[in-house]
Amino acid sequence: MAPIEPGARVAVITGASRGLGAMLGGFLAGEGYDLIITARDGAPLRERAERWQRDFRVRVDAIAGNVADPEHRAEIERAARRARRVDVLVNNASELGPTPLSALIDASPSAFADVMAVNLVAPIAIVRVLRPWLARSSGLVVNVSSDAARGGYPGWGVYGASKAALDLASSTLAAELRADGISVVAVDPGDMRTDMAQRAFGDADLSGRPPPEATLPFWAWLFAQPPERLSGRRFEAQAEAWEVPA
Amino acid sequence: MIEGELAVPWSSRLEAVAPPEDRGLARDGVRLLVSRGDALEHHRFRDLPQLLRPSDLLVVNQSGTWPASLPARSERGPFLLNLSTRYAPEVWVAESRFGPAEPGPVPLGLGEQFEAAGLRAERIAPFPGVDRLAFYRFRGDVEAAMRRHGGPIRYGYLARPVPLAEYQTIFARVDGSAEMPSAGRPFTARILESLRARGIRWVPITLHAGVSSLERGDAPSDRQLTYPEPFEVPAETVQRIERTRRTGGRVIAVGTTVVRALESATGPGGLRAARGFTQAFLHPGRPMRTADGLVTGLHDRGSSHLSLLAALAPAASLERAYRAAVAEGYAWHEFGDSHLILPS
Repeated sequence: MAPIEPGARVAVITGASRGLGAMLGGFLAGEGYDLIITARDGAPLRERAERWQRDFRVRVDAIAGNVADPEHRAEIERAARRARRVDVLVNNASELGPTPLSALIDASPSAFADVMAVNLVAPIAIVRVLRPWLARSSGLVVNVSSDAARGGYPGWGVYGASKAALDLASSTLAAELRADGISVVAVDPGDMRTDMAQRAFGDADLSGRPPPEATLPFWAWLFAQPPERLSGRRFEAQAEAWEVPA
Repeated sequence: MIEGELAVPWSSRLEAVAPPEDRGLARDGVRLLVSRGDALEHHRFRDLPQLLRPSDLLVVNQSGTWPASLPARSERGPFLLNLSTRYAPEVWVAESRFGPAEPGPVPLGLGEQFEAAGLRAERIAPFPGVDRLAFYRFRGDVEAAMRRHGGPIRYGYLARPVPLAEYQTIFARVDGSAEMPSAGRPFTARILESLRARGIRWVPITLHAGVSSLERGDAPSDRQLTYPEPFEVPAETVQRIERTRRTGGRVIAVGTTVVRALESATGPGGLRAARGFTQAFLHPGRPMRTADGLVTGLHDRGSSHLSLLAALAPAASLERAYRAAVAEGYAWHEFGDSHLILPS
C-alpha cells in the first residue's frame, strides 16, 4: 500500500449519537480529526455530524446502522476507503440486553446472543474490516469495556460477560496485531450518567453519577500517548492515575 | 474536606506579596514553623538541616516553571490565557482570565479561533466541572511561543511582576509546571551543602503543577478539585526510598506535589517506578502511606493542599500550628514562609 498522505487524521466511533460516544466525537473533531461516526439512530447522529462540521471545520461521515449487521460494517469499510486512513477506532456501541436486567441464570440464549453479537463479535469484526487502514496509520483501537466485566454484579451477568470477553479480545488482538503496527487497548470509563445506565437502573436516581464529560481528561491523555506504548493494557478512566509502562 | 474543622482566624493571615528578597532576605531566610504533633517551634528555613536526622531522605520535585501566562486576543479584545497542562504538543488545558486579578472565563465559543502568543488557537472542549478551564488547540510550536511571549502566571495579590528566574527552585531540571512547586523555593546551595555535610540525601520526582487559581477562593464550588497532572517517579528514587525505610530513616516530602506523585506510584505491592497523569486527592479519609514528614508552605482554607496536610497530621495539631502561624505573622502564598511537619 502507498505511504500515507498528509492530511487530517481520521477517527471511527461507533455509538456516537449519545453519551460517551458523542462526547468523544466532539473532542476528536476539536482536535482536528475527520470522523466516521455510526449509530443505530440516524437523526441524532446526523445532527451531531452537522454541528461538528460547523464548529470545527472537519469532515464527518455519518452512517446509521447496527454494528452487528455485516452490511453496516461493510459501509464503515467503504467510508474508511474514502478517507484513506484510520488513526483511531473507538468500539463504543454496546448492547445492554433486555431490561429490567435479569439474573444470569434466567437470561435467554437469544438475549445472550444479541449482547455478544454487538459487544464482542462486532468490535472484532470492525477491526478486521479496518485492519489495512489501521495498519497504514499505525492506529489505535479502543474497546470500551465496563467495570461489570470484573464486578460480578447481580443482573449484570450477560453484559458483564460480554465485556469480560471483550477485554480478553483486546489483549489478544493487541498481541496478534502488534506486527501490523496496530495497538489495542480496553477502557473502563467507570460509572456514568448515560441513557444506557438509566435503562439498566430503571427509575433509580443517577444524578450523583458524573456525566461522560467527566472522563474527558482521561481520553485527551490517552489519545496523546504513543499507541504502541499502551497496547494490550486496560485502563480505568476514573482511576486516581493513568500510567504508561516505564 | 477539612474546612470548618480548623478554627483559624483566616482573615488575619498575612500574604507574601513579593519574594523575600524584596525585604532583604535570602531565599532561605524565610521563617520555618516546625510541628511535631502538638509541639511547635519557630525557626528560619536555613535551620532545616539541623532539624532533620542524618538518616532522613528528602524527596524533591524537579519540575521547572514555564512562562505559562500568554497574551491572547479574540474578536472581543485582549485577555490572558494561562496554560495549565500539556496533553499533546498542540492540545493544552488552559485558563482564560481577564487579568491577573480578574478571573474568567473569557467568553469564547467552541471552535472559535483567537490568537495567543502569536499562534492561532481555538477552544475545543470545556473542562469538566471547572468553567474557567478548557481544552485548547494551537497551530504551531506552543513551547517556543511561550518562551518568546509568555510570562510567569501571577495573581492580583502580587505587588509586582516577578521574573521567571525568581520562580525556579534549585531543584528544577525539567520544565513543565504552570506554577512553581513552591515548597522547594527556600532551598539554596548552602542548605544543600549543609544537608550533604550531615549525610542527608535528596532524590527527585517530577510533577508538573497546573494552575492554582482554583485553590485561591475565586470559585467556591470547585475548591476541592484536583485535576490530572503529569508525574514521574524514577526507579532510582524508589530504590533510595526503600533503602531509607529498611534502615529506619524517615521520608520527608518537599511539597504536596511530591506526596501526590509518591502516592500515585504506590500500588498493592508498594512503591514502584511510575509515569503518567495523576489526579490523586489526599484527605483524612485517604491517608498517606509514603511520607513521614512534609516541607510545605501555608495553605488556604478549603484548599486541596490543606486536605492533604490533614491526611498526614491530626486536625487538632494543624489547627494549633495554623493559629500560631497567624498569630506570629507568618506569610502565606508561593513567596511566603514554610512549614515543616514531622512525626511527633
